[in-house]
Amino acid sequence: MKEKNRVTRFFSKPLMKQNIRSNYILCIAILIIMVLMSNIINFAMSIMQSATSKVDVSTYQEEFYTYLGSLATYDQMTQGELSYHDFIAKADTSEYDIAFSMLNKQAGTTLSVEGFEEAITGLKQSNISIDTYVKQFEYSYALAQTKGVFDQEELTMSEMLSTTLEIMGVSPDVVKRMGEMDTTAMLNQMYYTVIGLLPIFILVVILANSLIAELVDRGSMAYVLSTPTKRSAVAITQAVFMIIVPFVIISVVCMTRIATSFLFFDEVNVPGILALFAGMYVLVEAVCGICYLGSCLFSQSKKAIGFGGGIATWFFLASLLGMFGSENMVSTGMGIEELSIFNKLTLIGLYDIDSLATVGTGSVDTAFVWKICVLVAVAVICYIAGAARFVKKDLPL
Amino acid sequence: MRDIILETHGLTKDYGKGRGIFDIDLEVKKGEVFGFIGTNGSGKTTTIRNMMGFIKPDQGSSRVCGMDSWTQSAEIMKQVSYVPGEIAFPSLATGTAFLKSQAEYLGVTDFSYMNHVIELLQLDPTANLKRMSKGMKQKTAIAAALMGEKEVLILDEPTTGLDPLMRDAFLELVREEKKKGHTVFMSSHIFEEIEEVCDRVAMIKDGHIIDIVSLYDLRHPKEKKFIVEFADSQEKDRFIENTSFVISSHDSSSCQINISTTELNSLFGVLKNYQIQYLQEVHLSLQKHFMQIYKEGTQGYERKE
Repeated sequence: MKEKNRVTRFFSKPLMKQNIRSNYILCIAILIIMVLMSNIINFAMSIMQSATSKVDVSTYQEEFYTYLGSLATYDQMTQGELSYHDFIAKADTSEYDIAFSMLNKQAGTTLSVEGFEEAITGLKQSNISIDTYVKQFEYSYALAQTKGVFDQEELTMSEMLSTTLEIMGVSPDVVKRMGEMDTTAMLNQMYYTVIGLLPIFILVVILANSLIAELVDRGSMAYVLSTPTKRSAVAITQAVFMIIVPFVIISVVCMTRIATSFLFFDEVNVPGILALFAGMYVLVEAVCGICYLGSCLFSQSKKAIGFGGGIATWFFLASLLGMFGSENMVSTGMGIEELSIFNKLTLIGLYDIDSLATVGTGSVDTAFVWKICVLVAVAVICYIAGAARFVKKDLPL
Repeated sequence: MRDIILETHGLTKDYGKGRGIFDIDLEVKKGEVFGFIGTNGSGKTTTIRNMMGFIKPDQGSSRVCGMDSWTQSAEIMKQVSYVPGEIAFPSLATGTAFLKSQAEYLGVTDFSYMNHVIELLQLDPTANLKRMSKGMKQKTAIAAALMGEKEVLILDEPTTGLDPLMRDAFLELVREEKKKGHTVFMSSHIFEEIEEVCDRVAMIKDGHIIDIVSLYDLRHPKEKKFIVEFADSQEKDRFIENTSFVISSHDSSSCQINISTTELNSLFGVLKNYQIQYLQEVHLSLQKHFMQIYKEGTQGYERKE
């Protein structure tokens, strides 16, 4: 009779069961949202990468232009009508054989029909149509024929383009950067520091509130504390729940992300992805700690959710603004460097995805280490302070 | 020493502006059913929260089974079952799920007593917890508390929401507990139920204990009151003039006599000589007693301070 009435000091199994029963639907919903989001973004990234995949065609382009130039010279000399369009339309290439051998003799080049064909097939690998290349050649050929009326300097295509853009009020730099834009890095930045965090932040805020403050506010904590369960057991059990749930969710998201990465990409940096998600977990735990502290400090549910939710929302919004100041965004011309100050005003700023992503590559940037340590410290301090407060405070049960 | 199960000494929790409880001294002996009566907001629940160790007293102490409520609450809970005043269940699906979960907390594996309680209260625990009526919830809470078969029961307004039949069933449960030798501390603002089952009653007003009465004393007072109605006013006047009994009041043909129980025989002897129409003993109900004390009570504790 007496033995079964043990005092629960550290961990209450029935309380954990109760937590799971009353929160699993929310957790699963958030998990599904996060898995879907992560993998769809991954898919989008793979599509984008293949769209902008730069098979280097510059040598083919150069060769192609050499051939076109030669044909143009030949046409001028012989009043002929040889051209790219003519070349691909005709099955008979004897005319070109003659032209190329003549040009070879004159200039000592090694032009041949096969060479021309090779240049064409090579150039076709790019997403830009051959017609566009031909058109560009026409312009640059025409420009090369003449010189500036006033300064007598050579006119070039790129100069003409940037002059035109400047007249239109567009900085040529922006256009240049857009051409070099690393959309993958941008999407990563967006996913890891903004979009990917939103669902789990919402979950954390709701969970932290429902685990302690709501039970106290509604009074159902009385059914736990009127049993031989110490308050420390309640505090520890709820903290354990807050530690395990985000871990499980982020692990599942991470694993599906790695799996789909193997599906979409040829090369997958598994340690890099693991490091990114591990960093995300530490960040989420820091926010968990803050929400848990709020839940322990306040006996009213609305105050607790105001505290945790307010801070989490601030972190999120500051990170959103900070994203536009991040290097990845500034370098694509879509950000403003001044906004990066927001990254210093949010804990998410300590989640350094650029250096975390280098894990598993040849050159590991260890800048993330101290930042992660700060996040861990925030989490630990908040959990301990929250638990200490909960054990000592008056409960209106 | 072991006889006293619940005791508070100078227990004070000041919420400011006169709210809270002040200097509460209570002692509840083993096996006693102790009633705690007071109006809404008078401090009943605050006192109980202190006893349960949910809040820390500003001054004084509260001890249950010899252990301090605040520092040893978990130890105390081995001996104590509690029905909170405000019923708010955890978000579980059904009553059965809740009772099972409570059984786990309490380490209860034998459900025979719980089933007995459920049967007695005619509770259907399979209903959805959130859709339960107030009375249903109250019954579920009572079943959850009683299943542990603890030594001490602390009940905060346990009968709210129960219909009169169920209230009787509940009071029957309290009597059963008493028979087992368990101690019951119940708060209420309904005099009848307290009067029916309690051995002693403490009355609280504005956070101060204004009176502690034994219901045995109330039922068996040393001085009884009788109203005697005579045939006419001459008979009455004749009686008043010739008697040594204390007449507390009288009107046209009746009078009220205060008399010690030992003098009863002589009173009836005297009354034989008069024309009596009507004789009634005046019972002092708890409610009347309470009202009487309640009016006086205010001055009582103000003088003390």
